[in-house]
Amino acid sequence: MKCRIFGLDFKNPVFIASGTFEYGLTYKRVSNRVGAVITKGITARPRIGNPPPRIIETPCGLINSVGLENPGVEVFCQEILPKMRKLKTRVFVNVAGFTVEDFIRIVEAIGDRADGLELNVSCPNVEAGGVAFGRDPEICAEVVKQVKKRTKLPVIVKLTANFCDPLVVGRRCIEAGADGLSLINTLHAMAFDVKGTKVLIQGGLSGPAIRPFALFCVHRLKELGVPVIGIGGIMSGRDAYEFLLAGAAAVEVGSATLRDPYAPLKIIKELKQYTGWGHDAG
Amino acid sequence: MVAHKLKISKKVWLTKNVFGMEFILPRIRPYPGQFFQVRVNEGFEPFLNRPVSIASYKSSRLLLAVKIVGRGTKMLSMKKPGEQLELLGPFGGKFKPARKRSLLIAGGIGMAPLRFLAEYLSARKTVFDLLYGVRASDEFVFRNKVGRMADRAIFVAERGYQKKETVVSRLRRMDLAGYAVAYACGPRTMLIELQKLNLPMPAYAFCEDFLGCGCGLCMGCAIMYKGSYRRICVDGPVLELGGIDFEV
Repeated sequence: MKCRIFGLDFKNPVFIASGTFEYGLTYKRVSNRVGAVITKGITARPRIGNPPPRIIETPCGLINSVGLENPGVEVFCQEILPKMRKLKTRVFVNVAGFTVEDFIRIVEAIGDRADGLELNVSCPNVEAGGVAFGRDPEICAEVVKQVKKRTKLPVIVKLTANFCDPLVVGRRCIEAGADGLSLINTLHAMAFDVKGTKVLIQGGLSGPAIRPFALFCVHRLKELGVPVIGIGGIMSGRDAYEFLLAGAAAVEVGSATLRDPYAPLKIIKELKQYTGWGHDAG
Repeated sequence: MVAHKLKISKKVWLTKNVFGMEFILPRIRPYPGQFFQVRVNEGFEPFLNRPVSIASYKSSRLLLAVKIVGRGTKMLSMKKPGEQLELLGPFGGKFKPARKRSLLIAGGIGMAPLRFLAEYLSARKTVFDLLYGVRASDEFVFRNKVGRMADRAIFVAERGYQKKETVVSRLRRMDLAGYAVAYACGPRTMLIELQKLNLPMPAYAFCEDFLGCGCGLCMGCAIMYKGSYRRICVDGPVLELGGIDFEV
């Protein structure tokens, strides 16, 4: 199931999505067999994350509000990235900036020590930047332009579909030089505590509940003719194949690892039955 | 971590809404406080696994005690002996209890992990006392099993035929000088009250929460502990009671 995307070879088109597998170091047997591991969102400065509750189960999925907990780019580059490089997989760093300067700072700190970058312009769980940032095609294009000036690595933009058209934002990102797009990030969601009448959680919805919508968004970007990575509630090889049919060059598995850390292996095995060997994309 | 597809070898109702499930699972070496992530079913409803602490593990027999608190645990309660369940684990930090005279403080279903702790201490010839409180006296679980292992066991109920008392009010009257360490598991309100008591010995809380992955991946089960967020699933579930900030 080898595939070639943005000029890089991947052992298969099943990647691990940002935020649901830490840094791929806990379950190395899984990390070593997937096409790529995308890190948890890395910010310019350390972030302690949001107060609990951070996860609430909803029908066929969950709402999370982890709030980009991470040690910041410096500690990440010193302590975590070298360990990740020992994994037998491609490492993509999810870059989570709140300003254009943040993105530049993180990207410069990473240098060429990763295989690629996924620009997170769409996290719904942070106040500044985040998803509002990701709705504005011009700001996103500016981020891409500035990042591309400073790196030779392939740059993917992770798009949101919250109150905006990912096709519009995606097109501008590609015009600005992005090598590919990944979508969708989690959808705005909330839940109430009916005993106490207060808001229980406000965050991002993921899981099979969002899959049909994610498929629609991926399919919508087909006309751009660039590598698109499909994300959204993939639980099986069949689900992954659906995204490939919709035009995705690869997929990212997220929430499924919360139910079963070995889910990506199962998905790869099942996907082989659909695609046969030698999947060629992009 | 290993995924186990296991048959329920035995199922017993312990109270009207707490049941125990037994599985045969050889070759694991669980620590007190560790738990399994139980897959409720193969569909996506409910989506997440349910964390259930180990109540007993002896001669390859694993006992999990579950209280029905919502949809997922209700579905689990309908499983019958002979049916297969998928269990992931054991998860949780490897907590090694001190081999000193201990006090176990249990509230309600909090008894479940403390039963396994009691077995663990007994097997290591560590003497302990038990203080076990419930709301109504028909809610006791493993009362005799753990009572027999304890040097001294005190049972209290907030309502019922016995003297009306809570774990916390009983503790206030107890002489705690002889204990080197205390372990507590129970409702959050009980843990908060215990924290306010400023127990004279080091005290550990067996924490519980709704978990995402249960194995440190999702950072969903954050708890404010000694000034930073920790993950209950891998940094706990056993944490120093005094270090927990319940207000965050």
